[in-house]
Amino acid sequence: MREIKFVQAIIEALEEEMTRDETVFIIGLNVQADPILTPVRLVEKFGTKRLREVPIAEPGILGCGVGAALAGYRPIVHSRFVDFFMPAADELFHKAAKWRYIHGGKVTIPVTFLAGIGGYLGGGGPEHSQCLEGYIMHTPGLKLAIPTTPYDLKGLLKTAIRDNNPTVVLYHRILVGAGTSGLVPEEEYTIPFGQADIKREGKDVTVVATGLMVFMTLQVADQLQEKGLDVEVLDPRTLEPLDIETILSSVKKTHRLVIVDEDTLRCSVGAEIGMQFMEKGFDYLDAPIKRVGAANSPIPGGFMECYALPQPQDIADAITEVLGIKESFQVKPLELLKPGRHMGERLGYGKKEN
Amino acid sequence: MLTKEQKMKLYTNLVRVRKLDEIMVKGVLSGKVCGHWSSQKGQEAVGVGATTFLRKDDYIFFCHRGHGITTVIPKGISPRAFIAEHFSKNSGACQGMGCLHVADMEYGAPGLSGSLGGDFVLAAGMGIAAKMRAKGQVVVCIQGDGTYGRGTFHEAALMAANWKLPIVWGVENNQYMVFTPTSDIFPKENMADLAFGYGMPGVVVDGQDVVAVFEAFQTAIERARAGEGPSLIECKTYRIEPHTYGMVDKRCAGLRSPEEIEPWVKKDPVNLFQERLLKEGVLTQADVDRIDREAIEEMEEAERFATESPAPDPQILKQVLYWK
Repeated sequence: MREIKFVQAIIEALEEEMTRDETVFIIGLNVQADPILTPVRLVEKFGTKRLREVPIAEPGILGCGVGAALAGYRPIVHSRFVDFFMPAADELFHKAAKWRYIHGGKVTIPVTFLAGIGGYLGGGGPEHSQCLEGYIMHTPGLKLAIPTTPYDLKGLLKTAIRDNNPTVVLYHRILVGAGTSGLVPEEEYTIPFGQADIKREGKDVTVVATGLMVFMTLQVADQLQEKGLDVEVLDPRTLEPLDIETILSSVKKTHRLVIVDEDTLRCSVGAEIGMQFMEKGFDYLDAPIKRVGAANSPIPGGFMECYALPQPQDIADAITEVLGIKESFQVKPLELLKPGRHMGERLGYGKKEN
Repeated sequence: MLTKEQKMKLYTNLVRVRKLDEIMVKGVLSGKVCGHWSSQKGQEAVGVGATTFLRKDDYIFFCHRGHGITTVIPKGISPRAFIAEHFSKNSGACQGMGCLHVADMEYGAPGLSGSLGGDFVLAAGMGIAAKMRAKGQVVVCIQGDGTYGRGTFHEAALMAANWKLPIVWGVENNQYMVFTPTSDIFPKENMADLAFGYGMPGVVVDGQDVVAVFEAFQTAIERARAGEGPSLIECKTYRIEPHTYGMVDKRCAGLRSPEEIEPWVKKDPVNLFQERLLKEGVLTQADVDRIDREAIEEMEEAERFATESPAPDPQILKQVLYWK
């Protein structure tokens, strides 16, 4: 095992899969020039045909991914901003998701959509700060992974690229930009979809968190430990398929459930997980489920975003609430999100080596 | 120059497609067709001329009218699979799940976009695959005039031109977008002019003349196979039937006049080609009668096959969403 940064895990997965299978190629804006995601080495190794630079044309970009997949290739469509998948909703939600089904299984679409999600960019505004996993999880036909550690990201991205289904892999922009790191084996590995991971064991309360919220919840959990609260943090890792069984067995032990999800609360991934849980696990609960998520509003621009996006204190308060504790335990804001870093820096485009 | 055999093949395909269209009309009227039928009668020369001599491994996209009838039948999908799909039978091309969405990648036909104009960008992606594979495959993407209003055409045309993808864009200009004349929507007389902004050839052909269509596509296909990039071909034709069969036939707020339709009925592509081949001596009246009879027999047999096929097992709904 060695410690590598988040972005290195992406690059290793891409390089290994492109080396392994010559039908794998990357298409997206700035894929030949992104100073973070595409080191010059990759362009030199695979050439500009396999790192295909595009016009600003999202339906065209995603459509090319689906079309090339229909014709037997394994494209990886990349966007730093999942927000920009919305102009290509037809390609993502109709073509990629529905064409195998509507054609009775006669076509196969092995495309991978890789994109950055999330806010906390310190000024991204409503069209550069979203988490669209709710839309994607809602749409049958798409598989969805949302890894939060370099280990999970590399293993799940490699699985996604090899999968014969259209697959979406979402990474949090802040985790890439801040240069967070983690242990990753030297030797090759993949992680199957549909296996949740317990990121922190605890006996008092289960917190199911996704994306950056896993990171945030772990830091909150460490601080609450000092107050004697033992928090279990569970990361589903993939949302389609969703490993509801692991969530059920965790709550069977803790009897309390908090769901933390950065997306807008209404009809979010957290809402779906909560309802799936209620259908099977109501009897395990000693308190109502509590959800933490973004406000039911667009993400405001500039400094104001902190009022719409979930904060560590919201998570801490939700945990104490389901435990019936009246007192509010103060927790620190997330170090990664401290003010004073401009958006370019938060995305990882600062001058310092990431 | 087309050989005698090639001309016979073009003519036979025109007749086969026409007879299949008639079966589909009957299917709608009898309630056997699940959904609707947008007859392509009078427009057959476009798809038939463009696709009859494609390679099996070439890719095709087609306009919604006829649900691909003029391209997938020449390309090789069987009338049995086409009709059975529309009757929602398990023997259909897509096991009865697609209905109007007929696809079979064995013949390079990946499907029909429900959102009109959605196929352009998929064609660009297949063009990337064809170019990377370097086996000389082409993508022929024929879409209706209305779809060229979509931004997807601009995006796909830009990428295809920039990367010199082996694609032939076809406009099947039947002059109507449901009830709206296309001339109300596009500022110029020829949609082929769209090509020039992308630095690709743009030509206009008589869409009633199957040989003219074939020749224009052949030139563009050879250019694409040679790695010289895409072309745009506008085929001028006309929609004889209402938007979908049995629907009120309007032009803007009023009704479409018989006087407007009549001259185009006289320019029927099957009749025009038949007269020409009889005159050239390629066909005799006996050939005409035989080809007609054989086409009717083929389509009636396919219709019986579809009618007698069982409905799909609902279990399939749980099997095909994901590749397993």
